[in-house]
Amino acid sequence: MVDTMPPSQYWPGGTTPPDLSAALPGGTTPPDPPAALPGGTTPPDPPAQAVIQTRALTKVYPGNVTALDGLTVGVAPGVTGLIGANGAGKSTLIKILLGLLPPTKGQATVLGRDCQTSGETIRTLLGYMPEHDCLPPDVTATEFVTHLGRMSGLPPTVAKERAAESLRHVGLHEERYRLIGTYSTGMKQRVKLAQALAGDPRLLLLDEPTNGLDPAGRTAMLELIGRIGAEFGISIMVASHLLGEIERICDHLVAIDAGRLLRADSITSFTAVSEVLAVEVEEGLAQLQQELKARGLTATVAQRALLVPLGGDDTYDVVRDAVADLALPLCRLEQRRHQVEELFRGDEGAAHV
Amino acid sequence: MSETPAGVIHDLGYRRYDGPRLGRAQIVRALTWHSFRSSFGIGRGVKAKIVPVLACVAMCLPAFVNAFGVARGSPRLFGYDVYVPQLRVVVLTIFVAAQAPELVSRDLRSHVLPLYFSRPMRRGDYPLAKYVALTAACLLLIEVPLLILYVGTIASAKNGHGVWAETRALIPGLGVGLMWAVLMAAVGLVLASLTGRRAYATGIVAISCFLTWTVSELLIQAEGGITSASAGARIGGLFSPFNILDGVRIWLGGTSPGEDANPGHFGPLYGVVAVLLLAACLGGLAARYRKLSMS
Repeated sequence: MVDTMPPSQYWPGGTTPPDLSAALPGGTTPPDPPAALPGGTTPPDPPAQAVIQTRALTKVYPGNVTALDGLTVGVAPGVTGLIGANGAGKSTLIKILLGLLPPTKGQATVLGRDCQTSGETIRTLLGYMPEHDCLPPDVTATEFVTHLGRMSGLPPTVAKERAAESLRHVGLHEERYRLIGTYSTGMKQRVKLAQALAGDPRLLLLDEPTNGLDPAGRTAMLELIGRIGAEFGISIMVASHLLGEIERICDHLVAIDAGRLLRADSITSFTAVSEVLAVEVEEGLAQLQQELKARGLTATVAQRALLVPLGGDDTYDVVRDAVADLALPLCRLEQRRHQVEELFRGDEGAAHV
Repeated sequence: MSETPAGVIHDLGYRRYDGPRLGRAQIVRALTWHSFRSSFGIGRGVKAKIVPVLACVAMCLPAFVNAFGVARGSPRLFGYDVYVPQLRVVVLTIFVAAQAPELVSRDLRSHVLPLYFSRPMRRGDYPLAKYVALTAACLLLIEVPLLILYVGTIASAKNGHGVWAETRALIPGLGVGLMWAVLMAAVGLVLASLTGRRAYATGIVAISCFLTWTVSELLIQAEGGITSASAGARIGGLFSPFNILDGVRIWLGGTSPGEDANPGHFGPLYGVVAVLLLAACLGGLAARYRKLSMS
């Protein structure tokens, strides 16, 4: 189970010492999944060929409602989170990318094709999972996904095979002959994902895939999406308003607000600037802060801990030496990450200035 | 779901599909075929088959009985172009009222449309497929009894001349049936696409058809009936799609006397109204789905 966790579950520069396997009896070295590598050392692929590219994309609805306002953003292959509050323009962007809605101004390309002129071609390459309920209750999951596979252009027998396969991939193998109306919300979400997967898309657009799920269901759905992105080699754009949730599975993040780009970056570039070492001592916090300053580290007080920017491995040594020299009772030394949410919040404040 | 061991998925692997993909035309054809089947309840539950089966039986029964009668020497009672007119109005209304919602309201109700629109089809393709499917279903319902009657009659024909006469009578009948199917499918679909609630959709279609028919009949009766030469009686038929169809039939040279409408020299008007009604229904349907695809 743990072995199959998506890579992003392991935080970069994890506190696991690299010589752990050496301490184990020889021969029983656990298989080291690439996921367990310190993520910080594996740079993200450079955005070689953007799967999605928009240029000054603007959409104004009748009544002068601006949904997108000069949005220019490129999305690299991999799993990308599209973050924004409700009404930020996520769904409008998805509709434009699907070629269903003409932009007022600007241009959008998906997989190198223009959304306005090549909508049909793009839609054969895309899988789309809508935000809202979109399943008829009175057909079985197999029938439904098979039919939609046909609508994606699959020949009849292929559609049947791929429907069964897609449903198995989302974990609905046993229940696939049941009427969708008898499914739980979590199972319905999985059917929605399976129908998007049935046509073998190159890119999946998932609109709020964890909508309406309980915490366990959310985790399961996110793991599933992470796995599809990591193992199936399908690029994914996940729209969500819950940043803390999807940052676990994303390689990149795109944040939009009021139709404008707040920030677009790879998740590792966020973590590179956001790693801090939290030092907690039972007493002498101010003393330690001064000592660290003398040793060239600027520590900030956060509640009962000191936060030290994590420069490299020697930061641990400096902190350890400082604590030892002062003979302070150290009770916690841990590497923390800012929640990306905080970073965006800071940014958002700046954007509104 | 969450109790399914998630790790299993890891081992199964994902297979790419690199084989041939169907083009847009073939996808639309697949949707049309799927819709055509479901308009007879095929591929659906037993309940979905009740109305189509009863409608087919009701339409074919007179043809069967008459075909048997012809074999025993009695004459053919029904004209191909005015085959059991009152029954046809009632059965077709019930069929369209029940099956047009089956084709469009279900998808509206369960919000499946975004899934269609996110696939290669263009926005007009979905209503087009539904329209072709329902037209074909209505056509089948109308023409099969005519063919039964035809086959039964020519089986007892004494010579080639008899067969030829029957065939010449049948062809306009098939034409009239086509006209009915084309117009009634459009009327039924545009009304049914207004709401996702099946019961409402059925009600809207049935009431619209019956009400307009009744109003039209009353107008004609009030003006002295179909034999009356008054303008009121002549244009009274314009208030109901069924009577418009019958008026067009007479205008185009239908020889069997009309049961409902007698357009007289207003014939061209019936033709124009029929075309306008069809255009309005199809335009409305296209506009409806255009709006739905953008929302």
